Amino acid sequence: MKIDDQKIRNIGISAHIDSGKTTLTERILFYTKRIHAIHDVKGKDGVGATMDSMELEKERGITIASAATYCEWNGYEINIIDTPGHVDFTIEVERSLRVLDGAILVLCAVGGVQSQSITVDQQMKRYKVPCIAFINKCDRSGANPFRVIGQLKTKLGHNAVAMQIPIGLENEAEGVVDLVNMKALYFDGDNGEKVRTEEIPQNLLEEAKAKREELIDAASLFSDELTEASLEEKEITPQMLYTAVRKGTLKREITPVYMGSAYKNKAVQPMLDGVTYLLPCPSEVENIALDMEKNEEQVILENDPDKPIVALAFKLEDGKYGQLTYIRVYQGTVAKGSTIVNVRSGKKVKVGRVVRMHADQMEEVEYLHSGYIGALFGIECSSGDTFVSPGINLSLTSMYVPKPVISLAIAPKDNKSQMSMSKALNRFSKEDPTFKTFVDPETNETIIEGMGELHLDIYVERMRREYGADVTTGNPRVAYRETITQRADFNYTHRKQTGGAGQFGRIAGYLEPISDAEFVFENKIFGGSIPTQYISACEKGFKQSMEKGPKLEFPITGVKVVINDGASHAVDSSDMAFQAAARGAFRDAYLRAKPVIHEPIMKVVVETPPEFQGPVMGLLNQRRGMIVGSQDEGVMCVIESQMPLAEMFGFSTVLRSSTQGKAQFTMEFAYYRQVPQSIAEKIALEVAANKKSAA
Amino acid sequence: MLKNNFALRREENIIHLTYKDIVMLKKEIIYRNPLLNLGYEHEDILPNGGLGAVLAHAGVGKTALLVQLALNMMIREESVMHVSLQDAVSKVDLWYHELFHNIAGNFSEAEIKEYWDKIQPYRFIMTFRVESFSVPTLEERLTDLMQQNIFKPHTVIIDGLKFDEAGRGQLVLLKELAKKYAMRIWFTVHEHLNEKPAENGLPVSFQHVTDLFDVIVQLEAKGEDVYIKALKGKSSNAKPQTLLLDPATMLIKDGK
Repeated sequence: MKIDDQKIRNIGISAHIDSGKTTLTERILFYTKRIHAIHDVKGKDGVGATMDSMELEKERGITIASAATYCEWNGYEINIIDTPGHVDFTIEVERSLRVLDGAILVLCAVGGVQSQSITVDQQMKRYKVPCIAFINKCDRSGANPFRVIGQLKTKLGHNAVAMQIPIGLENEAEGVVDLVNMKALYFDGDNGEKVRTEEIPQNLLEEAKAKREELIDAASLFSDELTEASLEEKEITPQMLYTAVRKGTLKREITPVYMGSAYKNKAVQPMLDGVTYLLPCPSEVENIALDMEKNEEQVILENDPDKPIVALAFKLEDGKYGQLTYIRVYQGTVAKGSTIVNVRSGKKVKVGRVVRMHADQMEEVEYLHSGYIGALFGIECSSGDTFVSPGINLSLTSMYVPKPVISLAIAPKDNKSQMSMSKALNRFSKEDPTFKTFVDPETNETIIEGMGELHLDIYVERMRREYGADVTTGNPRVAYRETITQRADFNYTHRKQTGGAGQFGRIAGYLEPISDAEFVFENKIFGGSIPTQYISACEKGFKQSMEKGPKLEFPITGVKVVINDGASHAVDSSDMAFQAAARGAFRDAYLRAKPVIHEPIMKVVVETPPEFQGPVMGLLNQRRGMIVGSQDEGVMCVIESQMPLAEMFGFSTVLRSSTQGKAQFTMEFAYYRQVPQSIAEKIALEVAANKKSAA
Repeated sequence: MLKNNFALRREENIIHLTYKDIVMLKKEIIYRNPLLNLGYEHEDILPNGGLGAVLAHAGVGKTALLVQLALNMMIREESVMHVSLQDAVSKVDLWYHELFHNIAGNFSEAEIKEYWDKIQPYRFIMTFRVESFSVPTLEERLTDLMQQNIFKPHTVIIDGLKFDEAGRGQLVLLKELAKKYAMRIWFTVHEHLNEKPAENGLPVSFQHVTDLFDVIVQLEAKGEDVYIKALKGKSSNAKPQTLLLDPATMLIKDGK
């Protein structure tokens, strides 16, 4: 059975910080009657916008975690996923882009296309998300929507075409002319909720006609019917025009542009009409899952509620009633009482309560069909987990999770914070697979690990805001690793006779470097010089030694251990004795195997206007890194480089100050590389100093 | 000099490297400088300030040949700037990775990575959109890099410049640039399929600029093989061998 999903829209609102994204969302919720009062983003009235449900977001005026909310407009069901506008929250951004079918790209009528809009646009391009644009803040002085349309074309390469023209700008912004219906729209009432339709004012008629011609020209590429009508000068109906523009929008070959001012309550409703007319419904978007049984082969999902379930848990929240799991159903129907399997853990779970979310409030439903977004209660899982019907093994995300590259010691300031801190850490590590936490057994410190400086900063900040956990943080530490570079033999005897049962074990063999595995153990003992029952104890002993290098105490990787001889004692040998012998043998051989330190190298991509290319390259060059190349893209220049993570602390501040804030960068882990000798010595000194201070 | 104990393993005439010592790897690749075998006199092929061209129809292997030439120089610790007017940085980088992997095919992944880490700093990729490329812009970028001591190219490869449109003027400027900074510049030249060659075997659309080039090499697909022919600049007393580009690996191999 195919369900009629023509009237469902799963959309995101993408923009850079401060272009008024959250205000726009707030107005949408107001006009769709989901909320009954309007709050400002920065919370002058102490309430804050509805979508920014996290305290920290309210204070900084930015959106960090993406909340999902549901509303209705003219019979269409719209799920809005509020996406983070900040480039550093990659996992969150990527997850929300995965879930939505279309997007509204919000731009500022004054600032136009800024570098962050470029990043956001690139993300949408990568996930092939069709979008419409909304030029916000037309009431601000210096607003010029047509300049922004020009920038959309030149800077982002969009085939942007105006669906409206403004009636007055800046202080005189009154409304818009709808170029499809050729009517003037005004927004009356205290909050602009009453839309008044009038004839187009005489002074704008010529301009409106000219812009409508442009719109028809651009749209006729996607419809023969429209081309014919336009050539034969027949009447062009709104339906004809919308159908053509929609076709182009879905292919990402045309970007319809709406304009207005969310803050001044102008022209948000016509944009909502645009969402329903022009953005795709779930079955118009191809969704792909990976078949775990066939080496992650791609499988196209069908938006059919009768097929087996495939759903993605894209966000978790701890609420009053336990864990709330936001899901998007891609195939099948998730209903109360149905059984689903978590592909990652293989655990079967029964669905309890199913709800639809509206930021902090919820509404209970019986089921969620494919194409729908909602939330489940009482399901144990992590963010990014896929749920399927029993019997199939499809995953929506690759199982690959990069290892953390940076760590930070945190300590609670008082007892109360201690409790809240552990609660917060528990939740964060479930929400974000790249965020890890553990207690260092030696220093007893709580360590958090993640993918970058800002990544950890945000979590520390969230701990304070949301959980009231006041914590102090240590200096960030890079996750170095050790490995060996040559073969070293060992022949080690562990002997202990201090009264009671003695301990005896001798192990001989060698260590050698390997590149494609972290640890390999090979038993080449013939003739039973070490009895078989002790071999696993030997392996365990070696494995334990890999956790911490004898000298610098970083985890060791890339070692193959081969044992080929040994000796045991009928009475004194035991598992414990052989484990100790293995540890001794490892310690003994390790230093002779010429250990070296490896450090995480990050792929750093800087986007800068060409005039700052020189200084940016200089900055990168000072940091022990290597510039791979530069890509001239007209208005922007992209510089790709590989930098040691240890050199990247504070880079964002330096970059901002040397490019007047016009450059931005993204950073992701690339690989581990050997540290140069001089730096290795420095690290050794630091480690020694840290040990001393810990003692 | 090659030592016997570091003998090459030869497989269908493709040159593979079989020993682990980076010094020997360098010697080997230098020894195997692809174009030396065509009768060119010295390792750099081009003189200081000289221009060279690799001509071929689309898809025959112009970029592959020049990337091998670049790898050869990088191993000799000479810096190469690869300017592409058609591909993104990541795609150009992929060319280098692929060909280096093919050349060092008998080494382990870890060894290849180690060598690669050593030679990669001798390469800089710069890409432009065709319409935004101009000699003054290139010079501006170059001086930026040189003044800050980030990169000073020994050789520049310009891939994707349109000769019919670029005209002589742009090439004259590039020749001056090569002289000014004591560099060598290699170009890929796209031959059109239905264009008949002039008497000297060169495409007619290339005739007006031939005199600016010191070396011209042509790739020609005949049957399953791609022949590498020296058209200009080789030493008169050299005994040239036939060289082929193996279509499977895009590596240069000796003729049969």
